[in-house]
Amino acid sequence: MNRLRQRYPLRSVLLGFAAPIGAILFAALASSVILSLGGHSPGDVFQTMFKQAGKPTPFVDMVNQAMVYYLSAVAVSIGFRMNLFNIGVEGQYSLAALGAAYVGGQLTGGGPLHIVAEVVVAVLVGAAWAGIAGVLKVYRGVSEVISTIMLNAIAVGLGSYLLHKLGQSSGNNIQTKPISSSGQFPGISYSGTQSKIFGFLIVAVVLGFAYWFIASRTRFGFRIRATGLNEEAAVASGVNVKRMTLVAMLLSGGVAGLVGLPELLGQTHTFSQTAQSGLGFAGIAIALLGRNSPIGMALAAVLWSFLGKSANQLDFIGVPREIAAIMQGVILLSVVIAYELVRRYRLVLQQKDVAAQLATGEPTERAEPSAPVVTA
Amino acid sequence: MTLAGAPQSSDDGGTNSGSGNSGSGSDGAVGGADLAIEVVGVTKRFPGVIANSDVNIAVRRGTVHAVVGENGAGKSTLMKVLYGMLRPDEGEIRIGGKPVTFHSPSDAIAAGVGMVHQHFMLADNFTVLENIVLGSEPTARGALNFGAARRKILALSKTYGLDLEPDELVENLGVGDRQRVEIAKVLFRGARLLILDEPTAVLVPHEVDELFDNLRELKSEGLTILFISHKLDEVISVADDITVIRRGVTVGTANPHSITPRQLAEMMVGSELPSPQTRNDTVRETVVLSVAGLTVADADGRDIVQDVSFDIRAGQVFGIAGVEGNGQSELVEALMGIRPAKSGRITLNGTDLTRQTTRERRLAGIGYIPEDRQRQGLILEGSLWENRVLGHSDSPPNIKGPLIDRAGARRDTERIVSEFDVRTPGIDIPALALSGGNQQKLIVGRELSGSPVLLIASQPTRGVDVGAQAAIWEHVRNARAAGLAVLLISADLEELIGMSDAIQVILRGRFVGAADPATVTAEELGSAMTGAGSAAGAA
Repeated sequence: MNRLRQRYPLRSVLLGFAAPIGAILFAALASSVILSLGGHSPGDVFQTMFKQAGKPTPFVDMVNQAMVYYLSAVAVSIGFRMNLFNIGVEGQYSLAALGAAYVGGQLTGGGPLHIVAEVVVAVLVGAAWAGIAGVLKVYRGVSEVISTIMLNAIAVGLGSYLLHKLGQSSGNNIQTKPISSSGQFPGISYSGTQSKIFGFLIVAVVLGFAYWFIASRTRFGFRIRATGLNEEAAVASGVNVKRMTLVAMLLSGGVAGLVGLPELLGQTHTFSQTAQSGLGFAGIAIALLGRNSPIGMALAAVLWSFLGKSANQLDFIGVPREIAAIMQGVILLSVVIAYELVRRYRLVLQQKDVAAQLATGEPTERAEPSAPVVTA
Repeated sequence: MTLAGAPQSSDDGGTNSGSGNSGSGSDGAVGGADLAIEVVGVTKRFPGVIANSDVNIAVRRGTVHAVVGENGAGKSTLMKVLYGMLRPDEGEIRIGGKPVTFHSPSDAIAAGVGMVHQHFMLADNFTVLENIVLGSEPTARGALNFGAARRKILALSKTYGLDLEPDELVENLGVGDRQRVEIAKVLFRGARLLILDEPTAVLVPHEVDELFDNLRELKSEGLTILFISHKLDEVISVADDITVIRRGVTVGTANPHSITPRQLAEMMVGSELPSPQTRNDTVRETVVLSVAGLTVADADGRDIVQDVSFDIRAGQVFGIAGVEGNGQSELVEALMGIRPAKSGRITLNGTDLTRQTTRERRLAGIGYIPEDRQRQGLILEGSLWENRVLGHSDSPPNIKGPLIDRAGARRDTERIVSEFDVRTPGIDIPALALSGGNQQKLIVGRELSGSPVLLIASQPTRGVDVGAQAAIWEHVRNARAAGLAVLLISADLEELIGMSDAIQVILRGRFVGAADPATVTAEELGSAMTGAGSAAGAA
């Protein structure tokens, strides 16, 4: 039994590393095969990408993009923990950014409160838009997948309508009134480039920490986890699942509201139709890749951003940059599959441990015949 | 596990539970060739549970063979194995003496095995004809050929007395007619062996008689029927042979002509259960739970529990006996606040709980052992200590303000593991890895923690091994002696009689009579549960 106990933690640690490392190795291999089939040298491609990412300007660009991805992934993963698929982060953040830009443009002065007001507006708009799907789910049984997809479509239309109503034209573009300096989030300088890392990085880090703490340490987080893993048991143990569903949807939407802010407050200072889109969908992929873990999602966001940004340089060596999208896809699939394989393997091992435990106890049960196998 | 394929192999299933004369079923020796289907040493395991263990059944051609057993005895698993929905881990199935392997139900159908499900699988907006051919539509040069199908169905209907009207819409049919359509569907696909899963559960008595007439008709035409049921009087009236399954093991065969329902019940329940301890009276004066005029509606608005009233005192185990589906689950869910009460009052130690949430009721001191532990009682993927917190995330030792007290929860889980003898290598493994009995011990330990005043125990020992069962009883008895009030609902009548201080019988959502556990016997209780023996054991 002592041997069993000693072996257990080591095995557990090894298994923990097996999935991500295995997945990345496999993805690198698969990408290399795809590149070779296309007549390109995988070595050259990877070298070009890493070299690009090491340069100051692309590096800052990459960090900024990763930050935005991260916020989006956290928003999605709050829903995932409750088995809610918030496909609507896309619509939630675009409306939220518009709202924050409009309010921010109207205000002048006020120091840090200006920024606080913008953030609050963004969170409220995002939460409200997600809340529609939450209310529909709880009171009408409408699948949040369907309603958030439809709300995305509505958000596009509503967004451009409001932009026409509230914005002002500037050249060919329509945009909201620019935010004055007090409402701008100061950036962090990085040597060797004019580009700045968005100051919103601090918010993202704090959010990640809060996410981890609430999910794994609080009673509220426990109820979320219980509901996500077994709703019926959660009901039987006194969790108000309807309320939790609504709260999770509001939280997810609230965080989604932050997604557009790093760019808005740190760079553009105005919302226009050229604002970055597609971040909500990238967030879904990154949340899956990061397995809903705060650290995992941070790594996944960096990886995703690295692949996307460093691929721009590939055009110069005659490799289509779309290869990066293929790599993203291959990595995502490998990770999902690798984790599932490791999960199953771990379960088999644990059941063997239990069987071994039973075999050493008094033989009350019709003992599992597999018990004697574990003698190593 | 070596077994001769002899049809009599059931005799070595041993433990012929003292039912005396009726142990051996088949009259005389039966050769392998006369067997329609044979199940030899079939074992099927699920993670942590053994659903079937060395099951042996020999079904003679042209007979109705009944497989009886309590709920959870492993009948459904066996049936799924026979129909190719599950693959056995060990053992084999032989048809006409030859071993067969079914990878899917279509393999079973091809081998002439058909299944009539308990819940009908018919499209309401299709006609009888369309429903029967659905999935095996006859075609002529690529086009549907209903003419041939109609002729075949009418022929089947005539041969087996099924009385089918091919062009009637299924939505216009009664339950008995629908069942005949299901049977015809199976026959249409060429089945020679029909498996009927609890076919009488949905029928009213005269429909049952009609069904039995049909079965005799099928039998006389040389078909073989495997009839799965836990209704003993029906089994005895229709079957030619009976195989009894208990806790996943075939415990013996019986001859319906010479066995009484009482003997059969004894075989089903088994006599190896620890007999009830001396009944030292621990019932106190204080009423803990008082339920008055409770009515609960199901999703369709029908009253599934009607006007139920009872009191449970401190130190009292109050048992409810009833055939599954007579409102027990809904009553429990209403008491826990999972399902709203339509009318009536629920009072715990003088506090009205009727409008309170599940959480408030738990905080008021109700412990709850749900009937389906894996679905309602555990987070299977969660660790043991997380499962300790489940349902108790508002009370010490699991909390520290708004936070989960991990250290406290872990310490208390260690306590439960040692006090309740949960066999596990540690408290960080997922609940999924434990066997059923150990999962249940963990739940019992959890629900008895934090000094509850009332324990609602639904099927507390269902599907657990004998050792765990005795341990669970012991813990509940000790808690009772310490003044705990217990509501016990169990399909295991021995358990109910042995544990309870008072018993009420529930039938169609109403309490239909009290029984004195000191004097009532399992079969008196059993017949009272079906509404047959009205005053059986009434006190």
